[in-house]
Amino acid sequence: MAERVKILTVDWDKPEGWSLSTYKASGGWQALPKALKMQPQQIVDEVVKSNLRGRGGAGFPTGMKWNFVRKETSFPKYLVVNADEGEPGTFKDRAILEKSPHMFVEGLVIGCYALDCHLTYVYCRGEFRKGAAARLQQAIDEAYAQGYLGKNILGSGFDLEMHVVVGAGAYICGEETALLESLEGRKGYPRLKPPFPANAGGGLFKQPTAVNNVETLANLPAIVEKGGEWFANVGVPKNGGTRLYAVSGHVNKPGVHEAPMGTTFRVLLDEYCGGMRGNKKLKAIIPGGSSSAVMTAEEVDWPSDFDTLKAKKTMAGSGGVVYLDEDTNMAFALANVMRFYAHESCGQCTPCREGTAWLSRLLDKICDGRGEKVDVDNVHQIARQMEMKTICALADGAAMPAKSYIEKFRADFDALVRG
Amino acid sequence: MIALSTNAGEVPSPFDAEQQRRFDEAFEKAVAKYPPERRRSALLAVLHLAQDELGWLSEPTMAYVAFRLDIPPVRVREVATFYTMYRLRPVGRHHIGVCNSVSCWAMGSENILKHCEERLGIRPGHTTQDGQFSLEEVACLASCGTAPAVLVNNFTYAENVTPESMDALIARLRTEPGQTMAPGPHPRHLEDKHGIEKQSDPQATGTLGQPAATAVPTDRR
Repeated sequence: MAERVKILTVDWDKPEGWSLSTYKASGGWQALPKALKMQPQQIVDEVVKSNLRGRGGAGFPTGMKWNFVRKETSFPKYLVVNADEGEPGTFKDRAILEKSPHMFVEGLVIGCYALDCHLTYVYCRGEFRKGAAARLQQAIDEAYAQGYLGKNILGSGFDLEMHVVVGAGAYICGEETALLESLEGRKGYPRLKPPFPANAGGGLFKQPTAVNNVETLANLPAIVEKGGEWFANVGVPKNGGTRLYAVSGHVNKPGVHEAPMGTTFRVLLDEYCGGMRGNKKLKAIIPGGSSSAVMTAEEVDWPSDFDTLKAKKTMAGSGGVVYLDEDTNMAFALANVMRFYAHESCGQCTPCREGTAWLSRLLDKICDGRGEKVDVDNVHQIARQMEMKTICALADGAAMPAKSYIEKFRADFDALVRG
Repeated sequence: MIALSTNAGEVPSPFDAEQQRRFDEAFEKAVAKYPPERRRSALLAVLHLAQDELGWLSEPTMAYVAFRLDIPPVRVREVATFYTMYRLRPVGRHHIGVCNSVSCWAMGSENILKHCEERLGIRPGHTTQDGQFSLEEVACLASCGTAPAVLVNNFTYAENVTPESMDALIARLRTEPGQTMAPGPHPRHLEDKHGIEKQSDPQATGTLGQPAATAVPTDRR
């Protein structure tokens, strides 16, 4: 097997790999001085070349998003980091914050310089407050002490203030406009778009704002040091770099595994995760967090990049991969997933508020053995009616699993119902 | 009841002197993260700080937070009721949240929850009679690779939990003081829809081991 490319996880196996000294010993904080000598637009151009795609779920090209923000003439501009990691099956951002906080902070400083932004917030989910967020705060304090943050960074004349803000338990705040609402001290109701956050009127305090994921920004030091072209060549066309696959479920070695973009689910399972636990047979794969459409065992050879999975009517999403074995009943799995969405729907849009709750009730009924065949059909029908009708994508994220579990694992549902 | 719709002028603090000192210090830091004209944005952080001191957010506490940030109390209530980590009534001194999302479910979180129910003799949403423990189900904690996961007192993770490790955790927590819990609606009546209207019950302060801090100001204008 070829040498595995490591961009984000180089320090993870070292003792105190999260410390400033470890990061510096492995060449950390070298990209920032280089970046500060470049023109901001040059950095954005490198990011465009790198084919870096947003790692939060949507896979939007980061360079394109940054160009939108750069084109705006309204100042101040903001870069806000989405560290509200809450998608079931996803735990890679927490790992970055706990194991490589300095790499992320360096990437964020570079990003702010590229966008001409002087105040940045990292919005962490509330549960991280005493763990990952505290570790990040320590890294930020160290960066201030080293002159990597604050006034006149490394003599370049560039000023930057960085703050950690925590939420208080709401999955919806991982949606970028709900996150901005929450950051402004309100309940997390997603905003109607346009205006988009990148445009004046749509971002933080109504100013142009780039909202980026933790993992996306952690890639910046490598892109600046080795160039966008090198980064693009690590992945597959239009999907640059490696990805942190957060693997859970019935595998021998669950955890965060760094693999090139486009790695197939079979390679990820066999070479990175040591295969299925107890030599059980694979039954289903959740490819990118619980909002993504489920895959069957026969589809294990699909590459995991954004474009392939989109063409296959599922999504690479947040990189949270769950492998489920032959003992799993997919009807019960869907009932579990739907309880989550019913609980986390913010209640702003009727199709989502009523739809997720209705689906959850129907699926609980089916799993309790009180269901009829028509209930299964209804789940599929209701899910279809919820799609593309709401302000944010939560309803679509609930509809995709509902439809796909039934289409691909109908037998599990039919076995539980009468008629 | 305190009027929740308008700013009601100066509101008495629910804290004792020591709590007030810690709160004020952290309050200034939280507000300083925002531009001066945006200080109200620190609401979520300030609610966390109040809950750190008192264990839950009573209406007088919310009114005080509204006063300190100069925002209508109804907006504080709106935020406090939206986010799941804010508690609108007292819980146990050790609040155990068992993750029930898909990865933990696949790894047997239902058994962990059932085990907790049997060990503590309570259902999710309830508090033990001695006020030591409360139990709830929580959504994905970003701990899926180390499933099943449990969250203690909102911020402390326990991972790769087994029934045996859960027993050890409960035994250890019994020896620790846990979080401060200001008096309020009777913990045993959490499921009672009128419970939130009830004021402090002697049970809530009398048998908890140490006297809880005063949350409800005596002088409520």
